[in-house]
Amino acid sequence: MTKETPKTAVKSPLQQLLNFLSSMQLGIILLLLLAVISVFATLKENETAITSIYHSWWYLGMMAFTALNLLLCTARRIKPVTKLAFHPHKLTSPAALRQMPHHYELKMEKVTAEAALAQAEAAFKKNGLQVEVTAGQQGRVLFAERGKIGYFGSLVTHLSLLVILLGAMYGSLTGFEARNGGLAGDHFHVEQGDFRVDIKDVKMEQEADPTVRPRVFSELVITRDDQPLSEGTVAINQPLRFNGNTIYHTTFRYVSDVVATDLATGKEQQLKLWDIDQLQLDEEGKVILHVMQFFPNFSMHGGGVPYSKNYLPENPVLAGLLIENNKAVRNVFLILNEPEVIKTSTGEIELLMTGFENAAVFTITRNLGRPILFTGAVLLILGLYLSFFTFPRRFWAVFAQESNSLIIGGRSRNRLLLEQELEQINQEISKGGEARV
Amino acid sequence: MSSYIQVSPMGLFWENTFFNLALVTYLFATLCYVAHLLGKKQLGRFASYILRVSFLLHTGFIVTRALNVQRVPFVGSFEFGNMFVWATVLVYLWTEWRMKEQYYAVGAFVTPLAMLYLGYLTVVPRLFPAIRISRAHTQLAPVLQNNWLTVHVSASIFGYAGFTLAFAAAIMWLLKVNLKADHLITRNLPQSKTLEEYMYRGAAFGFLFQSVMIITGAIWADISWGRYWGWDPKEMWALITWFVYAVYLHARFTRGWTGLRTIALVMIGWVCMVFTWVGVAWLLTGLHSFG
Ligand code: HEM
Repeated sequence: MTKETPKTAVKSPLQQLLNFLSSMQLGIILLLLLAVISVFATLKENETAITSIYHSWWYLGMMAFTALNLLLCTARRIKPVTKLAFHPHKLTSPAALRQMPHHYELKMEKVTAEAALAQAEAAFKKNGLQVEVTAGQQGRVLFAERGKIGYFGSLVTHLSLLVILLGAMYGSLTGFEARNGGLAGDHFHVEQGDFRVDIKDVKMEQEADPTVRPRVFSELVITRDDQPLSEGTVAINQPLRFNGNTIYHTTFRYVSDVVATDLATGKEQQLKLWDIDQLQLDEEGKVILHVMQFFPNFSMHGGGVPYSKNYLPENPVLAGLLIENNKAVRNVFLILNEPEVIKTSTGEIELLMTGFENAAVFTITRNLGRPILFTGAVLLILGLYLSFFTFPRRFWAVFAQESNSLIIGGRSRNRLLLEQELEQINQEISKGGEARV
Repeated sequence: MSSYIQVSPMGLFWENTFFNLALVTYLFATLCYVAHLLGKKQLGRFASYILRVSFLLHTGFIVTRALNVQRVPFVGSFEFGNMFVWATVLVYLWTEWRMKEQYYAVGAFVTPLAMLYLGYLTVVPRLFPAIRISRAHTQLAPVLQNNWLTVHVSASIFGYAGFTLAFAAAIMWLLKVNLKADHLITRNLPQSKTLEEYMYRGAAFGFLFQSVMIITGAIWADISWGRYWGWDPKEMWALITWFVYAVYLHARFTRGWTGLRTIALVMIGWVCMVFTWVGVAWLLTGLHSFG
């Protein structure tokens, strides 16, 4: 071929690479890959999947690559989309309109071009369209449109996804997660956040049905260098939020008050025993009480397996395992206010449970990405709404002198609604008399 | 541990009566729609009336169930499944009302899908005792008592409804394209281009709601568990479904990806959706013990 290749067809390797990196094809491939890998990941045990797949460099890298693809695609499309929305082709010709997949041609023998276009204009306006008249080479052209904002749907959607990914990244880079807890009166320091949490109170509220896990409400006061930062109640579905930090109720524990008395010396010791605590009962550490579990309403299954009938504190028992010389010797059940004597090589120890309290366990997190994530979420919904539920459409009308006909063409991504509206416009014009399809 | 609610015999009677009546009339509507498709033209309008009646009966079931459990009934496979079928029929009827007679053919494919879902809730547990669909009236666990959860579940039933409509159109497309033009079934099916449009509308509707579902789920998780995304299998399958439909929405624009490939994507998306609902509960483990 001797014809000169148009300039646009010559692309530098860099441009080709950019085109590929910003292409929808690459996006499709990446999304499919992410989907397929995720399917395999869900077949694994969840913890394993998180460490070996979801948090692996290559899975996160793939996400990042998808984000890059999306970023380039979005950047590249801003200009064309803006042009599409704000600088449409307002001029057209009868021949061009007859080529449109959606057009009508109305024979109007007895009216002038003026009158026919006036009828079309009225019909457009009746359908809520904005009309502009432009003088073209073959007479005047009506241009009517509505719903411009809909052209920005995919752009806003894509942007929102980038915002969400950015929020997630920022949140995980600047955030932390810690666990701590305690009884009423306790306090702990959150190192990463440099604040102190004082647990003022831990209250348990039974549900109407005592077999349902009761709710625990903790009153917390947060300070930094003795300056108050925040205070409030924390419970299930009721976290305490301040300065991007959040304190969640995670679970509660029973903590037993036990008095240990050395019967030989009469020496008393006040203890607070948590589940899975180890209590050393002699000097050498040969006799150990391994605290197993607290049961608020203790009972035993047939096979001698202890359980709690419900959460009512009607028969509180602390169960433990007595270990001597590294060997389990027997079960110990400390019943409220009933002393239990344990023999050691050096003497006898009396254990007495005098009461119990509730401790709360909290998860403390910082997520500064939350406002970004929220913005992204709102944008995502907005973008999808614009993409799918708006109906941007454009119509053109011209009068063809040679055939004495009014030609109306329409363009929209929603074919079904476009056909309906074209039909309405057609009927509207036909009502004016004179018109014949 | 979830605890049971004492339901009055009267409440139970009405709940069961509404459910059984809805089931029978749904089946009847299905038969009428199918008969209409196969040439009994005069049955179309009748089928539509029957479906509206069964929808009202089903609404009656949901209201009595709500009164009996004293909350929105969307916990557990049985309640969620019913809400989901209800939403599917609602979205279908709404579309049919807007599109008129030309949409009856879609009804002949959507109603059998609704029957399939209802079959999972009623017949399947009888055939396979390992699959237990409890109808017990349970109280809401404290962690589930959250308004975001209500939005989350409401969005999910409409998302699934949209995907079901898209899937129905995909099956119709396959029949239209593969059977002879004068075949008993094909004769009354809309043009394949129109079916692709129906499919797109359903998928787009579903996609928007699926997105709302994922977002509100994340917000709720953030409030309850201190993290908005836990890579839990149910979450992941919702995301996978979302990816598949996202690919479909893009594939429509890509040359060489129209026709069979987009149909395949819609069908795969539907399989992912059903797996998120049914498969994850029975085959994988996770935090989501409900529906
Ligand atoms: C991964 C890289 C991606 C690329 C390169 C990409 C590219 C594109 C392109 C070029 C369009 C056509 C725009 C138009 O004609 O208006 C589009 C449309 C769209 N994209 Fe993406 N996209 C990507 C990911 C996503 C994802 C993950 C979503 C999920 C929400 C998404 C949602 C949409 C929507 C809703 C539309 C409009 C579809 C329609 O109107 O039917 N995109 N995308």
